[in-house]
Amino acid sequence: MKFSVNWLREFVDLPKNAEEIAELLTRAGVETESIQTRGAKIDKVIVAQITASSRHPNADRLTVCEVDDASGTKRQIVCGATNYKVGDKVPLALPGAKLPNGLEIKKSKLRGVESEGMLCSPIELGLGEDASGLLILSPEAKVGASIADLFPSDTILDVEITPNRGDLLSHFGLAREIAALTNGDVAPPPRSSEKIVHEDSGRGRPGSIKITAVRECPFFSARKIDNVKAGPSPEWLRAKIESVGVRSINNIVDISNFVMLELGQPTHAFDADKLKGGINVRLARDGEKFLALDGKTYSLASENLVIADEERAIGIGGVMGGEETGVTESTRNVLLEAAYFLPASIRRTARNLNLPSDASYRFERGVDPGMVLSASQRATELIREIAGGQPAKEVAAAGKIPANPSNVSLSHQKCDQVVGLAIKPKTVDQILERFGLSKSKSTSKSKSGRSTWKIPSYRRDLQRDVDLIEEVVRAHGVDKISGTDRSRFTPSSPADHLHDLESSLRGRLIAYGLSETRTSKLIPRSAVASGESAIQLRNPLSEDHVALRPSLISGLLAVLERNIRAGAERVAIFELGRVFVPPAGKEERRLGILLWGRMASAPHWRTREKRQLDFVDLKGVIESLIFPSLSFRHSEHRDLGLATEILSGDRSIGFAGQLSGARTSTIDAPGSVFLAEVHVDLVLGAQGSAKTFREIERFPAITRDIAMIVPEKVSHAEILRTIENPKEPLLESVQLFDLFTEEIGEARKSLAYRLTYRDRSRTLTSEEVTAAHARIRERLQRELSAELRE
Amino acid sequence: MHPLEELRDAALREITDARDAQALEAARVKYLGRSGSVSAWGEQMKTLGKDEKPIVGKLLNEVRNAVTTAIEDRAQKFRAQKESDALSNIDISLPGTPHERGSLHPLTQMLDRSIDIFRRMGFALADGPDIEDEWHCFDALNTPPEHPARNEQDTFYLPDGRLLRTHTSTVQIRAMQAAPPPMRVIAPGAAYRRDEVDATHSAQFHQIEGLYVDENVSAADLKGTLEFFMRELFGADTAVQFRPHYFPFTEPSLEVYVKSKALKKGEQWIEVAGSGIVHPAVFEAVNKARGDDAYDPEKWTGFAFGLGMDRLAMILFDIPDIRLFAQNDLRFLKQFA
Repeated sequence: MKFSVNWLREFVDLPKNAEEIAELLTRAGVETESIQTRGAKIDKVIVAQITASSRHPNADRLTVCEVDDASGTKRQIVCGATNYKVGDKVPLALPGAKLPNGLEIKKSKLRGVESEGMLCSPIELGLGEDASGLLILSPEAKVGASIADLFPSDTILDVEITPNRGDLLSHFGLAREIAALTNGDVAPPPRSSEKIVHEDSGRGRPGSIKITAVRECPFFSARKIDNVKAGPSPEWLRAKIESVGVRSINNIVDISNFVMLELGQPTHAFDADKLKGGINVRLARDGEKFLALDGKTYSLASENLVIADEERAIGIGGVMGGEETGVTESTRNVLLEAAYFLPASIRRTARNLNLPSDASYRFERGVDPGMVLSASQRATELIREIAGGQPAKEVAAAGKIPANPSNVSLSHQKCDQVVGLAIKPKTVDQILERFGLSKSKSTSKSKSGRSTWKIPSYRRDLQRDVDLIEEVVRAHGVDKISGTDRSRFTPSSPADHLHDLESSLRGRLIAYGLSETRTSKLIPRSAVASGESAIQLRNPLSEDHVALRPSLISGLLAVLERNIRAGAERVAIFELGRVFVPPAGKEERRLGILLWGRMASAPHWRTREKRQLDFVDLKGVIESLIFPSLSFRHSEHRDLGLATEILSGDRSIGFAGQLSGARTSTIDAPGSVFLAEVHVDLVLGAQGSAKTFREIERFPAITRDIAMIVPEKVSHAEILRTIENPKEPLLESVQLFDLFTEEIGEARKSLAYRLTYRDRSRTLTSEEVTAAHARIRERLQRELSAELRE
Repeated sequence: MHPLEELRDAALREITDARDAQALEAARVKYLGRSGSVSAWGEQMKTLGKDEKPIVGKLLNEVRNAVTTAIEDRAQKFRAQKESDALSNIDISLPGTPHERGSLHPLTQMLDRSIDIFRRMGFALADGPDIEDEWHCFDALNTPPEHPARNEQDTFYLPDGRLLRTHTSTVQIRAMQAAPPPMRVIAPGAAYRRDEVDATHSAQFHQIEGLYVDENVSAADLKGTLEFFMRELFGADTAVQFRPHYFPFTEPSLEVYVKSKALKKGEQWIEVAGSGIVHPAVFEAVNKARGDDAYDPEKWTGFAFGLGMDRLAMILFDIPDIRLFAQNDLRFLKQFA
């Protein structure tokens, strides 16, 4: 909310400097977001009245005005604005004036027409953000008077009021807070001495009041004010409310807003002549239509509170008045409402109708019940002064003003313990008293250091001891608490274990030359349209975030697309994160890997091989991870041309393959894209802990190579199976070390294997290895028709 | 001077003057070879008298040793020279054999650094789901349906009425439901806000939630913990300021600001975290769900905090736009390799 420092000063002594005020508030939890100076001294800008206006002879968008500046001779000014009419009073910058934006005004010719000064908009004078047209002054403004006198310089603070502090949503309220923080005095708010006539009889005669919805509206008052002269507000009133960003409508509405800004209590003025019979505060009928002041028709529900006359709703209680009964220039008699509404009810209504207003903002945060009638009185006084109204002697009212909040008990020991600092009980008491609390006499001598505090009507947020402790902390100063070391032995959790395993997984992938990505868990409409089913949001805000990702694939493909567009020649990436599996949205952790492009990101003199990344590279990455007993087998996948299922033991833990041509072309990727996704939970969850030592081989191994040519259809796995079955006890390991298909004829391939023989308990003889090796060679020839090469 | 000594001096001079291995070899043959002049003295020894023999013998030994050592030293020098001549042909300015270098995402680095610091202070990790219910996200955190701080406008909902957590504070509740106090956990994770996306807002972001519940936990402990964290993260000369604020689930509530010369924005206070003393209403909600009185607010107190990881990473790495994190441009990611 915006606060005028001049206005605050009417209630409390303030530090001279606005920065000091801001710092004081901010350090006490009332954050000042910006400080703006307005109406700084502007010399040579005066009130002028437009006496004539004509089209500029040479420019369609300009007009030539004749203005009276009280000097006796009329001035001719060229003007670009269109929001004025002849007779309006406007600010005139005379030649020699220097505006806050740095512009210096000179006599000049605009498109061939002499201009003796400039007519100004609010923004040009630093009096607001409005740049759309001239600042139209009140008709009462004195021609020739200095604008600086009309708009005294002021500082505007934009202050963030937290939702628990509805009591700060007014100048008086903030002044009271400042007084408490500085241990100063606040000028007392106007106290009502009105005579109240309670009418909850429901007889329905004009002016009578009845509350049907007593829970939602505990108290309602109305005062009739006759013979008002509705019209523009006087300059001071207008300037005051506009200085804090509230638009001037007419004097009656402006007074209502003024009182709200001053005291925090919203009031509403109805055109009394448009009301039929008595007032009833009731719940709306389901589907009841209501035309509000904003010009829109709302369809109400039975939980919405309305102010109604005999025939129809005339206001949505605490939210907005009705268009039909609003005050206009022709209004003669008004009915001024001031009430207390249940905060939760107002919040529900404002939210359901999507109709937040300055009034609902305050009511839902809780206004001061003690201020309702004072505000009514203050508004009445102003209407009498400014609009010449004749108020009824009495205020008609129904219901009961809510009782003061319950007392809160506080022990000094608890206070010290929560704050972590011993604060003298006397200091605590003084602080609470400054905030308007008073110690209940009966308990003040309790030995436990426990005291009971009466809470003022405007601090309904103070409900338990910790709320009081916070007040003490705010006023005493957080800086006075010195930080303490409370480290502690804590056993690691399953989440710790998983985090560490994942970290090591990431480390391995990075060592392998892959970059980690983190894509949004919310995926765009386009990904949902082209992808598998995903859990969609009920209320997305943009097409970019409409659903929860069911896998990491679409995110990785989007990253690939972006990087290809950026000119990348090698994209080797992974992501380790949560996915949401439809239909229930089960949350799983997955590892996604994508490889595309060149083996090396840049050419290098040492790297002769300039090949593209391929499926075997992808498989190598997966095999380098810590997943036990991995194998791959052919399978099907919607997006993949080549699809394999990854198994750990006999459990499926994910898939790997090459993106289908159709899918590849949608992302404009030249060449092939290789993808894998692994269920990390399944693998890491099953990880055993410590590795154990195995004795290092003491006896030497003997190696023998086999080179062979086999039909192309024979797989490595088949060859391996043939070598290893039946098992040769001396055979320790088999390594494929060469594979080529060139220069050996159609549909054949050449492979070379190194076989390592070893006995862990003795040195082998050449003869026994030769015998075993011969059996394997013979098997390969017999079973696979392998052509062995020497 | 004995003629042997004269011979020694001549040999040493010749060895020192030898220009190359060949000249050295010639000198060796000349003095130590079978018919070399030093060897010849061995023959001559036989002709010497009984009393002269031991003296000359000793001298001859010394001379032979001196010459042998000098030749060996000189030869060693020539061999070293030859090796270094050969190796100097290698162009050491050639680029080294390349290894593709991967990189950890800057957010992961930020999370890892933060987790490491909190672990040193004895926090264990905790976890909870991204898809939450209203009770864990709002009600249990003292934000009932009509509370002004409960902003459904900013919350993403699923068709079944569940929602995406708007903060990781939900894990506070889950951790306390699962185990009695004392409780000392941090929970890194994603959170979601229905905000317009711009340079400082994204629909999904990352937080670390912290919770410590024990006997006599105070605001001073909270300050000490977060001050230590900030100084470990931003450097020892980091200034940390706590300002009172309002969150429904803590009372008192404190916002945390830092200022450090090490940072680009070093001269101004930057907001980095929300924190506070756990509101007794939160304990009461947890007790109700647990069906016991494990978190008796009269016995236990606690502090909680939430750190924005994206924001911290932006400050620490001087990253100007939050959207860079989710775009994953390799030119961006590789900067943090």
